Amino acid sequence: MIDIKNVSKWYGNFKVLTDCTTNVAKGEVVVVCGPSGSGKSTLIKCVNALEPIQQGQIIVDGTTVSDPKTNLPKLRARVGMVFQHFELFPHMSITQNLAIGQIKVLGRSKDEAIERGIKLLDRVGLKAHANKFPGELSGGQQQRVAIARALSMDPICMLFDEPTSALDPEMINEVLDVMVELAQEGMTMMVVTHEMGFARKVAHRVVFMDAGQIVEDAKKDDFFGKPRSERAQQFLSKILSH
Amino acid sequence: MLSNFDFSVIPVSLPFIWEGLLYSFKLTITAMCGGIILGTLLALARLSGGPVLSRFAAAYVDTLRSIPLLMVILWFFFLIPLVTGKPMGAENSALITFTLFEAAFYSEIMRAGIQSIPKGQVNAGYAVGMTYWQTMGNVVLPQAFRNMLPVLLTQTIILFQDTSLVYAIGAKDLLKAAENTGKNYNRPVEMYVFSALIYFIICFSLSMLVKRLQKRIAIIR
Amino acid sequence: MNYQWNWSFFLDTAMSSDETYLDWLISGLGWTVAIAISAWIIALVLGSIIGTLRTAPNKLLATLANAWVETFRNVPILVQLFLWFFVFPELLPRELSLWVKQDMPAKEFFTATIALGLFTSARVAEQVRAGIQSLPRGQRNAGLALGFTQAQTYRFVVLPMAFRIIIPPLTSEFMNAFKNSAVAFAIGVMDLTFVSRQIVEESGHVIESLLAATLLYFLCAFLANRIMVFIERRVRVPGFIIAK
Ligand SMILES: Nc1ncnc2c1ncn2[C@@H]1O[C@H](COP(=O)(O)OP(=O)(O)OP(=O)(O)O)[C@@H](O)[C@H]1O
Ligand SMILES: [Mg+2]
Repeated sequence: MIDIKNVSKWYGNFKVLTDCTTNVAKGEVVVVCGPSGSGKSTLIKCVNALEPIQQGQIIVDGTTVSDPKTNLPKLRARVGMVFQHFELFPHMSITQNLAIGQIKVLGRSKDEAIERGIKLLDRVGLKAHANKFPGELSGGQQQRVAIARALSMDPICMLFDEPTSALDPEMINEVLDVMVELAQEGMTMMVVTHEMGFARKVAHRVVFMDAGQIVEDAKKDDFFGKPRSERAQQFLSKILSH
Repeated sequence: MLSNFDFSVIPVSLPFIWEGLLYSFKLTITAMCGGIILGTLLALARLSGGPVLSRFAAAYVDTLRSIPLLMVILWFFFLIPLVTGKPMGAENSALITFTLFEAAFYSEIMRAGIQSIPKGQVNAGYAVGMTYWQTMGNVVLPQAFRNMLPVLLTQTIILFQDTSLVYAIGAKDLLKAAENTGKNYNRPVEMYVFSALIYFIICFSLSMLVKRLQKRIAIIR
Repeated sequence: MNYQWNWSFFLDTAMSSDETYLDWLISGLGWTVAIAISAWIIALVLGSIIGTLRTAPNKLLATLANAWVETFRNVPILVQLFLWFFVFPELLPRELSLWVKQDMPAKEFFTATIALGLFTSARVAEQVRAGIQSLPRGQRNAGLALGFTQAQTYRFVVLPMAFRIIIPPLTSEFMNAFKNSAVAFAIGVMDLTFVSRQIVEESGHVIESLLAATLLYFLCAFLANRIMVFIERRVRVPGFIIAK
């Protein structure tokens, strides 16, 4: 479903990604982790071309992302994305947030879009808040709306960039629960997160990045059992020790 | 069309233009220095004066900020002779007007600057035994001034442009000099273009300077 | 100083016409409002487009937009007014130039409106750019990630918030439009400034004349402020606090 082949990327002279290769198969959940600044966000943003790449290839469901002929809006509409800081549109009500993409990009009618939006809102447990504005919700609630917004476009796969790291501890679980459910339903997911509990529970594979390189790309059990690289071991022991 | 233009008037006009420009500079610098000093006092009065003083400062600043400078120029030009009993001359009248007018604008900038300094700084000043004026003079104002330097300079660029408004009372600034020379040599169009160019070069260079300053201050912080 | 106050002279007929001074004042106010509002509309439309272009991915457009702003911001409004009034007609083809100089109706009004509109557009553009750049980068990404095109992202995500954020600075620009419109007197528009000078000269009642004009300017600035505050309230986003 998502194929990342020998991707390198520079910000000016600074090389953020070095020869990254990995893939996410249909129905697979891949967790990406690694220290701060290692290029996780950058990599995941390259998948739906929010960041251009200078070398290599990314193919999503048969479409080459870096091909200049690719219709990027069309591709992005099929790939759901959830951001660290939610990025709901503050000037629109929750319902409008859920409907706008369906109406303007997918061309659905207003009624249809709202109906589908409300259904998804119900699914993430927030139907009662349909008419509020993002600023009136807690962080955890906002992030669940953001997941619902991504789902409203009927995506073929979902990208998550540290969806819980801007949340207070007590709100993390309400978001993770939604994500676990999604994974168990068979959604294809690429998730940047430090929540190792989540990884243990639903991930199929774990990708470990350091300094712009994919250092380790292993089955979940292998990764948690005996990571091969020393850096991954250190990272794991640090993260699991508290 | 362009072929009708004759820019040979420009070298001839230079001495007059220079004289006008000097007056524009004099007006700008006087109003800037006077305006910043008076403006700072107004800001202090507004922030830490008694109820009467702070109300007066607020009224002064808000009034001048909501009427056109041109009206203020006319007020002073017509009023000063009424009060003193003898005409003062457009040039001197403008010097007073601009200083008093710009003080209102500089005052708002200094007020923002002073308010941006954490209260702890004032307390620290008092804690080492300084008086109000010592704390302001040694601790608060130097920091406020430095933080606000780009904004103060931007205001000064606007002030320099506004000096052209003394046209209304016939003071001989850059614009008036250009206009007069244009009339005398029958080349008004060329002289307007020339004066616009001078204004542009001065203001544009100054605004580039402000941009660099902003970057440097942003880094120091 | 013993000044002879006299407010009733406004009802006297002016020496050089058959209207009263009050009539003059009212028509002066009319011209001032007409210029300020038409210029504001020009400034808002052009400023929004140019401010947006300054943040656009296209380098050439951004550079052109920047040049626009620097040009109109760095020449005094009065000088710009003279350029439009005296210089611009000389650049036109002969026929058109003659028509502008001799036959164009309400020439002074249109010139003042265009000059003030373009001058103000540069300042509006500056605010629009600042507003757009003050939004978190993630907002734009969120729009693109949903499948919006660049244009749609601006239309639905970036601009609605940017404009809400910059209402306070736009309010003072709107008030500035009224204040700056005073330069129009210099090319002979009979606006408030023009008539107040005229009344001073004809009637000799300096303080009353200037006071009346000043109060009317006050009123304009006040109303402009109220209108913008009203708009600000109407479009306020629940739960969103605009940082002051
Ligand atoms: N727009 C940019 N311009 C220049 N450098 C950037 C830019 N964005 C990110 N970087 C740099 O690229 C590197 C990787 O950034 P990235 O955001 O992908 O890291 P990350 O692994 O997501 O870290 P974190 O866990 O803190 O989110 C960092 O060193 C960062 O400073
Ligand atoms: Mg990141």
